[in-house]
Amino acid sequence: MMLRQTARKALLGLSSQRNFSPVSFASRLYHSNVIDHYENPRNVGSFDKNDSNVGTGLVGAPSCGDVMKLQVKIDSSGQITDARFKTFGCGSAIAASSLASEWVKGKSMEEVLTIKNSQIAKHLSLPPVKLHCSMLAEDAIRAAVEDYKNKQAEANGETVEA
Amino acid sequence: MNKATKLVVSISTLFRQTRSSTFRCNPIPTIAIINSQTHLRRRESLEPNGLRFAGRVFCSESGVKRSFFKCWNCGFSSEKVAFLFCDSCRSIQPVDDSVDYFQIFGLEKKYEIDDGILEGKYKDWQKKLHPDLVHNKSKKERDYAAEQSAKVTEACRTLTKRLSRAMYIMKLNGINVNEEDTITDPALLMEIMELREAIAEANDSNELNQIRSQVQEKLKQWSDSFVKAFESQRFDEAVKCIQRMTYYERACEEIVKKL
Repeated sequence: MMLRQTARKALLGLSSQRNFSPVSFASRLYHSNVIDHYENPRNVGSFDKNDSNVGTGLVGAPSCGDVMKLQVKIDSSGQITDARFKTFGCGSAIAASSLASEWVKGKSMEEVLTIKNSQIAKHLSLPPVKLHCSMLAEDAIRAAVEDYKNKQAEANGETVEA
Repeated sequence: MNKATKLVVSISTLFRQTRSSTFRCNPIPTIAIINSQTHLRRRESLEPNGLRFAGRVFCSESGVKRSFFKCWNCGFSSEKVAFLFCDSCRSIQPVDDSVDYFQIFGLEKKYEIDDGILEGKYKDWQKKLHPDLVHNKSKKERDYAAEQSAKVTEACRTLTKRLSRAMYIMKLNGINVNEEDTITDPALLMEIMELREAIAEANDSNELNQIRSQVQEKLKQWSDSFVKAFESQRFDEAVKCIQRMTYYERACEEIVKKL
C-alpha cells in the first residue's frame, strides 16, 4: 500500500509542480473518487458483442498505450439499461471508464452524448496530465452509441430489403 | 541541483543565447545546416521565404540565419556549434538545444545504430562531465557540466530504447507522434485487448514468458516496418508503427510486473 501511494505521488508530482497554492499537497494525491473507482470498480465485464442490443465502444490512447472498452445495453426505446467496461491503463483511465459506465445507465442515447470529458475530469479531480483519460472515456461513450446505431441501421436495412 | 539554481542557470543561458544568436526559431533548420556540412550555405543561399527541409517550411524569416557560437570564457567565436567544450580554451559550455542527441554521440541520424558505440561514447562523456569530476572548475562551469551531463544521460536513454529512438527521430523531422490522442482502429485495439487479457489471465511464468517472446517478435517486426516506412517518408504509416510498438511495450511492462 505504501509503495502504491508513493508511486501515485511520484506520478502526480509532475502535474503539481506548477501549483503554488497552499492546497498543493492535497492535489498531489489521487482524489478519493479515483481511488474508490480504482479499488471498487463498478460494472467490470463484457456483454456479448454480437447481441443486437449491445453497442461496443473500443478506443485507445496510443501515447500511453491505454485501451478502453465500454459496452452499453440499449432497449427498444433508446434507453441505456446496463453498461460494462474493461480498461487497461492507468488508475485515472480505469476510474474514468468506471464512472462513465455508471453515468450512462438509465439515460437515453441522446443524453449520454452530451456527457463531456470536463465533467468526468471534474468529478475525479483529474490533474492536467491525466485529462486525456477523461477524453478517452467520452470517446468510448460516443463510440459505443455509434456502434449501436450502426447495428440498428444494418439490421433495419436488411429487414427492408428482405 | 536544486530547482531555484536550475531556473537561474537556464534563464542566464537563455539570455546568453538570445544575445549571441540572431535568430533561433527552431532547432530543426540548424540540424539541416549541420547536415549539409557547408557552413557557407548558412550565410548565403537560404531561400527568401525560409529554409526548406523535407518539404516543410519551418522559419518564415527572410535573410540570413546565423547560428554562431561564442565562448563565454575566452571569447573564441566560431560558426561551428561547439558541443560541451570550447575548442580554444576547453572550458565547458552551456547546453545548446540545437545539438541533437545523435550529434552528441557522433552517430548518423538514422534509426539503426550501433549500441556499442553508444555505450562507449556515453562513458567517455561522463568521464569528462560528471559533476563529481569537475571540482576544480569554477561554479559556472560546474553548473554547465551538470546540465550537459543530464543532457547526455537523457540522450543515451532516448537512443538506447528502440521505441524512444523512433519517436525522437520523428520529432527531429517535425512529426510529433503523440498529437492525436484517441484512436479507434478496431483491429489493433481488439488485438491489444486480447493480449492484455491473456496477460491478466496467465497463471505461471512459463505462460508469461511465452507471451513475452511473442510480443517481442512483434516488436521487432514492427520496428522493421517503421524503418521502411520512415525511410520511404511514409510518415503516417511510421506513426502507426510507433503506436503499435507503444502498445506492445506497455504489454511487456505488464508482463514484467507480473513475473
